[in-house]
Amino acid sequence: MNRFSLFRLLLSYEWQHFRAARGLVVLTGLLLATGLYGIYYGTTEIERQRQHLAALPELTRHNIDELKGKFPGDADAGDIGYYHTTYAVHHPDAWAALSLGQRDLNPYYVKLRLLGLQGQLYAADNVNPVKSLSGNFDLAFVLVYLLPLLVIALSFNLLSSEREQGILPLLLAQPVSPTLLVGAKLAFRLALVLGLAWLLSAIGMLWAGVPLDGRVGLWLSMTTLYTLFWFGVALVVTALQRNSAVNAVTLVGAWLLLVVLVPSLLNLWVAAARPVPQGLELTIRQREEIHAGWDRPKTQTMNRFFALYPKWRDTATIRERFVWRWYYAFQHLGDQSVQPLAAAYTSGLQERYNLVEQLNLLSPAINTQTSLNALAGTDLPTHLHFQQSARAYHDALRAFYYPFLFKQVAFTHADYAREPTHTFTSQPELLTAYGGLRKLLLSVAVIVAAGLLLLRSRAIQPR
Amino acid sequence: MIYSIARKEFVSTLRDRRFLVLSALVLALLLVATLVGRRSYRTLQQERALAQATVNDQFHHQPARHPHRVAHYGSFAFRPKAGLSLLDSGVDSFTGTAVYLEAHQQNSVNFSQAQQSGSLLRFGEMTVAFVLQLLVPLLIIFLCFGAFSEERETGTLKLLLSQGITLRQVAWGKIRGYSQAVALVVVPALAVAAALLFTGAEFATGPDLLARLVLFVVGYAVYFFLFVVGSVVVSAWQADSRTALVTLLGLWMLGCIILPKATANLGATLYPTTTKAQMDAEVHEEAQKGINGHDPQDQRTAALKASLLKKYGVDSEEKLPVSVGGIVMGESEAYSSRVYQQHFAALNATYERQNAISLWAGLLNPYQAIRPLSMGLAGADFAHYVHFQQAAETYRYQLVQRLNSLQAGMGYGDKERRLDAATWQSIPTFTYQPPTLAWALSRLLLPVVALLLWAAGLSWLGLRLIGKTSIT
Repeated sequence: MNRFSLFRLLLSYEWQHFRAARGLVVLTGLLLATGLYGIYYGTTEIERQRQHLAALPELTRHNIDELKGKFPGDADAGDIGYYHTTYAVHHPDAWAALSLGQRDLNPYYVKLRLLGLQGQLYAADNVNPVKSLSGNFDLAFVLVYLLPLLVIALSFNLLSSEREQGILPLLLAQPVSPTLLVGAKLAFRLALVLGLAWLLSAIGMLWAGVPLDGRVGLWLSMTTLYTLFWFGVALVVTALQRNSAVNAVTLVGAWLLLVVLVPSLLNLWVAAARPVPQGLELTIRQREEIHAGWDRPKTQTMNRFFALYPKWRDTATIRERFVWRWYYAFQHLGDQSVQPLAAAYTSGLQERYNLVEQLNLLSPAINTQTSLNALAGTDLPTHLHFQQSARAYHDALRAFYYPFLFKQVAFTHADYAREPTHTFTSQPELLTAYGGLRKLLLSVAVIVAAGLLLLRSRAIQPR
Repeated sequence: MIYSIARKEFVSTLRDRRFLVLSALVLALLLVATLVGRRSYRTLQQERALAQATVNDQFHHQPARHPHRVAHYGSFAFRPKAGLSLLDSGVDSFTGTAVYLEAHQQNSVNFSQAQQSGSLLRFGEMTVAFVLQLLVPLLIIFLCFGAFSEERETGTLKLLLSQGITLRQVAWGKIRGYSQAVALVVVPALAVAAALLFTGAEFATGPDLLARLVLFVVGYAVYFFLFVVGSVVVSAWQADSRTALVTLLGLWMLGCIILPKATANLGATLYPTTTKAQMDAEVHEEAQKGINGHDPQDQRTAALKASLLKKYGVDSEEKLPVSVGGIVMGESEAYSSRVYQQHFAALNATYERQNAISLWAGLLNPYQAIRPLSMGLAGADFAHYVHFQQAAETYRYQLVQRLNSLQAGMGYGDKERRLDAATWQSIPTFTYQPPTLAWALSRLLLPVVALLLWAAGLSWLGLRLIGKTSIT
């Protein structure tokens, strides 16, 4: 018998063995079911967000109709800017359904009026904190969190059960090398788990309707490497040749360490190492600035504003008790005064994220999760980009209203249609994802090499 | 006899190197979690106290302003951390910390820590509760999975029974011995935590906090006892140690990882919430046009004005001793607040319905009974959060109405005038009185009952099953 047909024979025995072990079949079926639920939940969650976003233009239209009724003829643009609400919207990428990331925590739309931006940018949406605490049940969770557990359940007694049942001496008495035996056993399990992971991924991709571009390959490679990593861990534990119970404890310990403990300890460390200036200070300061605007001499406010916008310097001097262009000028100055704080807040968040990016080599689980989120465009950087784009939209709105306000042009019903609108769709951060893939490859290489070395250096003990 | 079995298990556990390593790890983690919890408690508490003092100070030192300007200037309410939240931070990281309190609208609670920690937080937060709820049960499983199966495999079970003792007595002896070993790990850690809790000068050490801590400890004792009994039962029930271990680990994963997530997400799917944009639009619509679509705002204003003229027996607004603007403001605040309250009540009711599914799952899964109990006792659950929200809203309403009545008292032409800066100092600032233990407990009946049912059920049914287990 040559090595190849021997390998095939071993595989077919493994298959029969697997089918006979009812527990394992149940477990695999359970994982398939949870994977399908994960896909279902992720896609419905994103669908819900899409519906919510789709309802926003209707709210804006309704608001405009109301304003048209309130101001039947020509209106002062200041009134319109004050009562008119529009939305900056963050549309999900189709991939978001498979890896929801932070999309449930970070607001995916910002309600905007012509007032100071900083008071509006951070408004949270309605979220149930208890649900956020439990977290998302998406496909990424099933793959990152639960798939390793199936690997562990399938391989914790790779040789030890044969040894404990006394079959191993008989097996090794056959013309089969121990490496081939372990190889066949691992290959069978790998094929099973990878088949499951690919099947779930394929179903997820079809269900979510993702575009068939390079990211399909990226997702599959990431899933494959992550699965390989856990088989590498199983290989190391098998090579140590302890009994089944010790193996199980060791493997679960490794899972606990890499999937639970390292992330939560890293979270503590990152929070301490990169303190983010609290947003509270920002809102307090902005309120103070804006409300002081009412009490300051009008010329002082206007001169500060004209220094930023010299274009409007030659407009009429303000003699009235109240006039809108002055009101919006001090609203904007309020934003300006907290600009350094807002920038520090944003860059603090980004630095925190970068630090995690650097340290996630410590745990392939974090690495895979962040890479999948980056691929789906559901992580912090995308949210910061969205906020950036909301800021730009607010600038555009001001630029649209300023001529009305400063040249004192009446706002007509036709002008509503000319108002700028906003849209933003998540972009994948492919660089982060590729970086993650490289790191994952490194982790796999290290762990598999360690396993092979161990296996070679110790002769397999029959009992 | 039970005593000597217990003693044997206890001693042999202490001699087991695996147990020593694992419990050292758990102890270290508990210590880290306590210290970190204390530190973050202190910094957060200081930050919020400072922020609250700052805004209160700013409020009191405003220049002369028109009261309605002050109503828009508003104030902030910062949520203080609850005393025991250093042990279990519950939903605190996912709720915001500050509400902006202003006229005409109820704002959301913004700036949650979860938004600032990226995806790492999603893997779990290292708190004392996290270690107690997830890791100690694992330690117990590793400790007890071989309780019966190993004796059976080595043939010592037969010898034991030949001494004239029943299987059930053996089981009790083992449960007792293992419980002692677990207590040896957990008790010192909790003692340290309690010491840290009560030595900090900033903690208001009252009987309420002490009672909460005692119940917290009792709750976890029951929870651990459940795991000890459960592991021993499974060990007796399964054919060999290996399957016993795999079964127990499978149950742990199902109960502690999969079910909590699945039920929370199921709740959100079954009872969808409206977005804030939608809710704001509805509130605006109803506040403008009347709750039933009748009686729009301008009609209400006209009726109010007419009744004022009639009441004071004058024929024009100028002659009124009160400002119509101020009274209209007060009326419309009362009206819009009512609309807001209805919508917030509906939203919170939806959340409660979503959470109820997880809560009832506590009857199936002890983890989902201890988690709400622990959060509730720590003052960091959803109910405590809503309590704060409502306190902030009550204050906001009183503040705005007070300012509206000040405006009303200024009489006709109030818009051209301002009130003296001293006025603002007479207005009380926001202080938050957290709810008592009795309040919290009345909301925690279901998890308490679920835990007790589990303890009683396992001890009774499980040990009955043990009596029937095979010896060889």
